[in-house]
Amino acid sequence: MFGRMIRGTLFRQWKKMLMIAFTIALGASLASAMLSVMLDVGDKVNQELKTYGANIRVVPKSASVLSGLYEVEDGGTGGYIREDELGKIKTIFWTYNIVDYAPFITVDAALENGEKVKVVGSWFDHHLSLPTGEELDAGLESMRSWWELESGAWIDEQKESSGKEAMVGTELAGKLGLSVGSRISLAGKESSDTFTVCGIFDAGGDEDNEIYIQLDNAQALGGLDNKVDSIDVSALTTPDNELAERAAKDPKSLTVAQYELWYCTAYASSICWQIQQALTDCVASPVRQVADSEGEILNKTELLMILITILSLIGAALGICNLVTASVMERSQEIGLMKAIGAYNGSVSLLVLTEVFVTAVIGGTAGFFAGFGFAQIIGHSVFGSSIALRPMVIPIVAVLVFIVTMIGCIPAIRMLLGLRPTEVLHGK
Amino acid sequence: MKKRRMFIRMITASLMRRRSRMIVALLSIAIGATILSGLVSIYYDVPRQLGAEFRNYGANMIMTAADGSFTSADMEKGKKAVPSAELVGAAPYRYENIRLRENPVVAAGTDPEQARAASPYWLIDDGEWLQNSGELLIGAKVADSFRLKVGDDIELSFTPEAEREAAAENKTADDNYKTFRIVGILKTGGTEEEYVYMTMGDLEELTGVSDKIDLVELSVSASSDKLGEYAEDINLSVPSVHASLVKRVTASETTVLSKLQALVLLVTVVVLALTMICVATTMTAVVAERRREIGLRKAIGASNSSIIKEFMGESMLLGFFGGTVGSVLGYVFASQVSIRVFSSSISFRPLLVPITIIISIIVTGLSSLMPIRSATEVDPALVLKGE
Amino acid sequence: MSLLELKNVYKIYGELHALDDVSLKVEKGEWVSIMGPSGSGKSTMMNIIGCMDKPSKGEVLLDGVDISKESSKNLTTIRRDKIGLIFQQFHLVNYLTAVENVMLAQYYHSIPDEKEALEALERVGLADRAKHLPSQLSGGEQQRVCVARALINYPEIILADEPTGNLDEANEEIVVDLFHKLHNEGTTLIVVTHDPEVAEVAQRRLVLRNGKLAKEVINENFTGKIRFTDQ
Repeated sequence: MFGRMIRGTLFRQWKKMLMIAFTIALGASLASAMLSVMLDVGDKVNQELKTYGANIRVVPKSASVLSGLYEVEDGGTGGYIREDELGKIKTIFWTYNIVDYAPFITVDAALENGEKVKVVGSWFDHHLSLPTGEELDAGLESMRSWWELESGAWIDEQKESSGKEAMVGTELAGKLGLSVGSRISLAGKESSDTFTVCGIFDAGGDEDNEIYIQLDNAQALGGLDNKVDSIDVSALTTPDNELAERAAKDPKSLTVAQYELWYCTAYASSICWQIQQALTDCVASPVRQVADSEGEILNKTELLMILITILSLIGAALGICNLVTASVMERSQEIGLMKAIGAYNGSVSLLVLTEVFVTAVIGGTAGFFAGFGFAQIIGHSVFGSSIALRPMVIPIVAVLVFIVTMIGCIPAIRMLLGLRPTEVLHGK
Repeated sequence: MKKRRMFIRMITASLMRRRSRMIVALLSIAIGATILSGLVSIYYDVPRQLGAEFRNYGANMIMTAADGSFTSADMEKGKKAVPSAELVGAAPYRYENIRLRENPVVAAGTDPEQARAASPYWLIDDGEWLQNSGELLIGAKVADSFRLKVGDDIELSFTPEAEREAAAENKTADDNYKTFRIVGILKTGGTEEEYVYMTMGDLEELTGVSDKIDLVELSVSASSDKLGEYAEDINLSVPSVHASLVKRVTASETTVLSKLQALVLLVTVVVLALTMICVATTMTAVVAERRREIGLRKAIGASNSSIIKEFMGESMLLGFFGGTVGSVLGYVFASQVSIRVFSSSISFRPLLVPITIIISIIVTGLSSLMPIRSATEVDPALVLKGE
Repeated sequence: MSLLELKNVYKIYGELHALDDVSLKVEKGEWVSIMGPSGSGKSTMMNIIGCMDKPSKGEVLLDGVDISKESSKNLTTIRRDKIGLIFQQFHLVNYLTAVENVMLAQYYHSIPDEKEALEALERVGLADRAKHLPSQLSGGEQQRVCVARALINYPEIILADEPTGNLDEANEEIVVDLFHKLHNEGTTLIVVTHDPEVAEVAQRRLVLRNGKLAKEVINENFTGKIRFTDQ
């Protein structure tokens, strides 16, 4: 009979129950959309902030102390990173957080007229097939997104004929009167070669006076086989906190538990530490301009989203609560009748609660999927990628909907229990 | 005249004597209005606030000498092109090769306060920020290679232009000396770690050459289009200076900031739409409850239009109160968010108050219109007999 | 001319003939009661006379106007001007005081006048309870407010639907006495009721059965005197 009564309300009073279900669905969709977006916004914004370029720079150990301090004429003090070790960067614990990296080798070369220019060898869209099965196109094209190509195109490493191409900074190109298609011959310490200009770029910095060619070409010019003098790494990182700052100074000062926590969190400092361990004789350090600012912006955006989420959760909760109260109270007559024919308070409350609960489950489920849909709309239109479904959203929304509907029922049930059947049945 | 008074009397009676129901409705409208005004305030303020956060990336415009070097008067002239409200920091730098324990080191003279404002990401790893004359801030790599620490006193020397030849000819040059105390060690992860920093005055004293600037780093809180205009202005008005944008910072800021704004906009739209629907359903429920009363009014001779007028009047009054409460609470919420997230206050937008109130009135009005209409269309006899 | 005249009125819901060829005349100042078991068509007839429903066939002349042809908007106007309704469940607006409930009828009719509304309450003996809300009034008091509301606009007809259905005996007597008073003042009364005691005091008693007028009884002993109290 109980089941029949519930079915009766749900099917015969479906209009009213639909209204409750609809409001619960609205609230639940609001909650799940905001929670999904909030939980994912860190990763998404982090991806966006990658346009600022590398947040970690790796240099050889010896160079990290000496380079730049002494203007050493021969362009190096013997400290280099080995090119064949580059792949190891993608073997560290946080390998999936490393989204991009590019090695650099700088050599001095002379032009035909004897003028010296700085030639940088690097990756542009270097294709990496990692032992883990991951495929990655790494290089400057994505790591220097702010470079503006004035003419021509990026060096395409995947093209057969790209071997002897060069990209020239706008100032140098202006000085030398170079344009796309021009040929320049460069004489390095070890060998010389002729390159075709395939692009002229404006970087708004020192790079505007440099020539960029592929890594192996530059190594050949300088006779620096298998040598790299710095690596730029773009990694998704967690904003630093006190632990990370302490660890950055000296990881050995941490307790074992702290070390574990630090090592297993994607702080810039722990990624640096892991890179240092993976490569021989190198020093990896966060580029504070990028890493620190990233942290600031990430923290602020996340906090902002959390506050907006809290506001919308409160809104959703009160909305649901309100409507449940209003619509249960509306049924006072029916419930008065039940009491008149001998229903106990307990069984009346149970009936009302079950009805509302069934409605809440239906509405909440519908709302959850709708909300996830809203989150996708936000994800696709803002970041151009979908928002991941976080399993933790489901229990949060479920508990929220449950608590809120039950709270909404309390005043209504209190009122119903106080009802005297005669008053209700004889009208007001 | 009398009729209007009765109208008002009825509405106030309904609002005052059906207090619990009205509070339910009012609460729901007020929440809707709070979310509306709060989110819209945030939406309008976020670009400004986030823009300020992006200044953490440091200088987005630099002034270099068009030819050789320039003076601080040129710098001041150049700075005038940028509205002072948008100027976060303008740090002049002068670089000289000096010697530290007979090894060459690049020394930079600057205005410490401005440098700090323009490059907020600089980390003083140990010690404190450079403040006074006689103090020296050294890059982490310098500290490392010379094994220097905070508190050490160190003598720097500089060979003036006139003495360079003497030095080249292996004669003892008549160098300038000055002793500094190391107050801090600078970490940036960039080339700054290879320099030593001192006040502009100290560098002038050490070199014996004054009023010379190599570079000014400007951190300006403005869009990249505007920055471009300022740079052009400077280039036109101060011929000795060449201003250019730091593309890496400006281009990336435009991309990321626009995404973040789009995010806040979309979130605002979604939350608002859902909240307004929520308010509408509550109002619908509140009005639908009064079908019997509507039937009675019809039975004793009320025309449909007068019923609609009364009930709408009541709903709209609720909308007005809810909107008023909500616009205040929304402002409180927005300023709390602003203080907590960006540690700055939010500007009060007076226009938002009437807009919030009007939207609340419209939403409540529209959402109660439907159930009122459906109740008036039913025969009063049916309604009075009860379902 | 009669105040109210029904000519061969039918009300048909699908197969069911709720009213089946009913003809009836009510003169000005008359006190008529309509009796009948449930489903006999009482409520339908009451709704039609009260301008809340229209017949399927036939004419209903109220003051010479055929209300079966009027639009529902005009029906509202006619109801407002000519008819005072009294309900079994009283139907007072629960957030308005007694006097405000009476004024509500004035408000829709013409212009609310608190003094006049108080006088109406005084006529039903409720002057001292004018400022009370319906929830603070007893059933009988609520019904008297309802009567005051019905007569405030001097309607041609007062139409009462089971006016004593929700009242105890003492209150029933008070309401019946009120009807006497109204009758003596010249008001036309049509009372639909189950209760033989209430029906019998009327001048004329009509009995409906299966939608047809089955019996008409003239009250020979009608005195118009107030029976129960000396008010």
